[in-house]
Amino acid sequence: LISARHEPSAGASRRSHGQLTAAALALLACAAAWGLAAHLLWRSSVPGGLSLPRVDPRAFFSSSFLSRSASYERFLTIDGVLADVTLLLVLALYARRGQRLMRESAAGPIGTGMLLGMLGFALVWLAEIPFTLLGTWWERSHDVSHQGYVAALFGGFAGLGAKFLLVSLALAITMGLARVLRRWWWAVAAPVFVGLALLSSFLGAYLIPETHAVGNGGVVTDAPTLERREGVPDTKIVVQRVARFTTAPNAESVGFGSTRRVILWDTLLDGRFSRREVDVVVAHELGHLAHDHPLKRVGWLALFLIPVTALIALFTRRRGGLARPEAVPLALFVFVAAQLLTAPLMNIVSRHEEAEADWSALRATRNPAAARGVFRELAITSLANPDPPAWSYVIDADHPTIVQRIAMVEAWRRR
Amino acid sequence: MSEHPIVLLVEDDLERNRWTVLFRWLLALPHYVWLGLWSVIAFVAVIISWVATLILGRTPTGLHNFLAAYVRYATQLYGYVYLAANPYPSFDGKSSYPIDVSIAGPARQSRWSVAFRAILALPALILAGALMGEPSLGASGNRNGFGSYALYIGVLHTAALLGWVASMVRRRTPRGLRDVVAYALSYGAQLSAYLLLLTDRYPNSDPLTALRELPSRTDPVEMEVEDDLRRARLMVFFRILLAIPHFVWLGLWGIAVVFAAIANWFCTLFRGTSPSALHRFLAAYIRYLVHVYAFVYLLGNPFPGFVGGEGSYPIDLRIAERGTQNRWTVLFRLVLAIPAILLASAYGSLLSAVAILGWFAALFTGRMPLGLRNAGALALGYLAQTNAYLLLVSGAYPYSGPTRPSSQPPATAAALAPGAPSLTGSLDLGQT
Repeated sequence: LISARHEPSAGASRRSHGQLTAAALALLACAAAWGLAAHLLWRSSVPGGLSLPRVDPRAFFSSSFLSRSASYERFLTIDGVLADVTLLLVLALYARRGQRLMRESAAGPIGTGMLLGMLGFALVWLAEIPFTLLGTWWERSHDVSHQGYVAALFGGFAGLGAKFLLVSLALAITMGLARVLRRWWWAVAAPVFVGLALLSSFLGAYLIPETHAVGNGGVVTDAPTLERREGVPDTKIVVQRVARFTTAPNAESVGFGSTRRVILWDTLLDGRFSRREVDVVVAHELGHLAHDHPLKRVGWLALFLIPVTALIALFTRRRGGLARPEAVPLALFVFVAAQLLTAPLMNIVSRHEEAEADWSALRATRNPAAARGVFRELAITSLANPDPPAWSYVIDADHPTIVQRIAMVEAWRRR
Repeated sequence: MSEHPIVLLVEDDLERNRWTVLFRWLLALPHYVWLGLWSVIAFVAVIISWVATLILGRTPTGLHNFLAAYVRYATQLYGYVYLAANPYPSFDGKSSYPIDVSIAGPARQSRWSVAFRAILALPALILAGALMGEPSLGASGNRNGFGSYALYIGVLHTAALLGWVASMVRRRTPRGLRDVVAYALSYGAQLSAYLLLLTDRYPNSDPLTALRELPSRTDPVEMEVEDDLRRARLMVFFRILLAIPHFVWLGLWGIAVVFAAIANWFCTLFRGTSPSALHRFLAAYIRYLVHVYAFVYLLGNPFPGFVGGEGSYPIDLRIAERGTQNRWTVLFRLVLAIPAILLASAYGSLLSAVAILGWFAALFTGRMPLGLRNAGALALGYLAQTNAYLLLVSGAYPYSGPTRPSSQPPATAAALAPGAPSLTGSLDLGQT
């Protein structure tokens, strides 16, 4: 009997050893595939050996501006970090105690999970109110934002509605899959979310409010040339009305294929920027589209989501898996914590793409003086610190610093 | 808690004389003049009464009796004007009338409550606005120069208007409509008494305690209330946002319901009865609608499910199996439903007022006031019945008034005080 008991045990041990090896190999293969995908997404049109010259910010900005912008950004960065810490603390607490709120639901497991997901973000919104108000106060006192406190709060409240909808949809999908696929739900959920992100990226242009056709003569005249040079002809350029809320200028590019758009904030066209400077901004956004950055962002999201969903599946196992609503608060915490921890990495990716768009704009406009001017003006109007400290750069900067951007202009001019 | 010191007494037999109904508002003109004069004197009297009550802690008997007679007279007059009673009322406010008010004698009142009476009455005034608000036309324009108009009529006026038409046709006012008017008058009388310092008891919005006798009914579409009034503050604060996934789902489901309703109309018209599958589908939709609305309007506490399952929510709808329907009423269902839609729209205003007041109350106390909850349940029940009638889930016309809960013995409705445990049981708000 004893020997009979031991024999299968040895077999099982061999099997488990084999399974472990197979799992390790599979993990290795996944990591290699991940690395290969990241390498492909990382490829850039910026020359590999390009070295940026040293630029002294004092050559472009007054010392009073440098000190004012440094203090302005420092406060906002600290406010943001404190908000993130609060977010983590609230969600950690919620992960421990949130399941008590299950009694407030008459919905089934998925509906209850959706409720718990929404309530998690509701608590976060409540906890972050002081930081939102502080940030608004700081921006208003530096004349960067016109937004009132009530508008800031209620704008956030309305935004919370959209977040609720998204978290509900996400939980309906993940919990639905977890009920069917048990431990392996993440293997299907991640591609589903990537598909949805792709759809959202494609349709994103239609979700941006208060836009109208561009009426600025300079942009209308110069855009076709820039589009041709960038290799994205017939790209639609629209203007978004934001002047009521902010004085900061900005622009963005969204969509791909037939929905690709460049969106210019009306603050960019209020006369503070010359026609050539606006051209640089338009070319920069066209550069994003020309190098498929909206699609690449989805690719990077996929690379983020696959391990994170697997991690959520792993962590929520101890609460019976994500099919059960009591696992939702923990899943929220894991997701948000992963998002915060990987934010510096995502910032690297973002800065990499922005640098490529800058390079592309320089090639398209062939006007380094205008590029230098626009970067300088962007810093002044947004009160952006041209050369932030390293810690702030790592945590917060999703664009190259103004000094780096001016350095790239110099590098292009000298090449 | 004891019975409210202001109680509406109803001795009306529902019979109406067509001629007096036809000219009802004109016949009341002398009374309006008299009421206007009386109101001027009552205004002066209430100021004196306010000072006296602040000093003495109770209203002097003479002033109390005068103001009580004023409230009685006004209630009798409005009972006549809004067709809750048939005979022409007297001018003294003392003679008995089929719609009358019993007002308790002067009692001690909290001086704080007296001092801030007008402010304290604000929530009750908001609710009274939804219940008894004057008809008004709202207009809004847009940049293209096009305007939109909306007619707002309170529950009382809508019920009176429908009662007027019914009385002209049948020489009898429907019980449901009469009871709705009586409910509004009861609330109005309690509010007036509170404002005129006849009592410091807050007006009770509970339709189940407004009238001493409520009809007991068994209807194909019935509300069932198993709510314990407890509310989670966090969920109260974020109520509208939490309901967003439900709104989206309702919208999607609603698209399917439009097609199902059309199919159901054709099928019921030809077969005389609704197909089983369509009946179940539409019934589930109406039940889900009730669950979501109950959640949004704070009539229920928990987050509702997404399938409209029977018995899955504390504010539920029991819908009977499909039955045979009169083909003529099926053919003209949309036209026939117009009066019900009008009243449902007025009830919608009441529901909104309940939600706004209930939101504040529940946020501060963690509980939904029973009166507000029951007023909301009455309104929601009528909305559900109207939907069921429109979608041919039921052939029975919606019943507009409050009905006696199945758990409550006859003639004890008024004795049930706010917070009484039995009211957390079942509440039927049936249809006609």
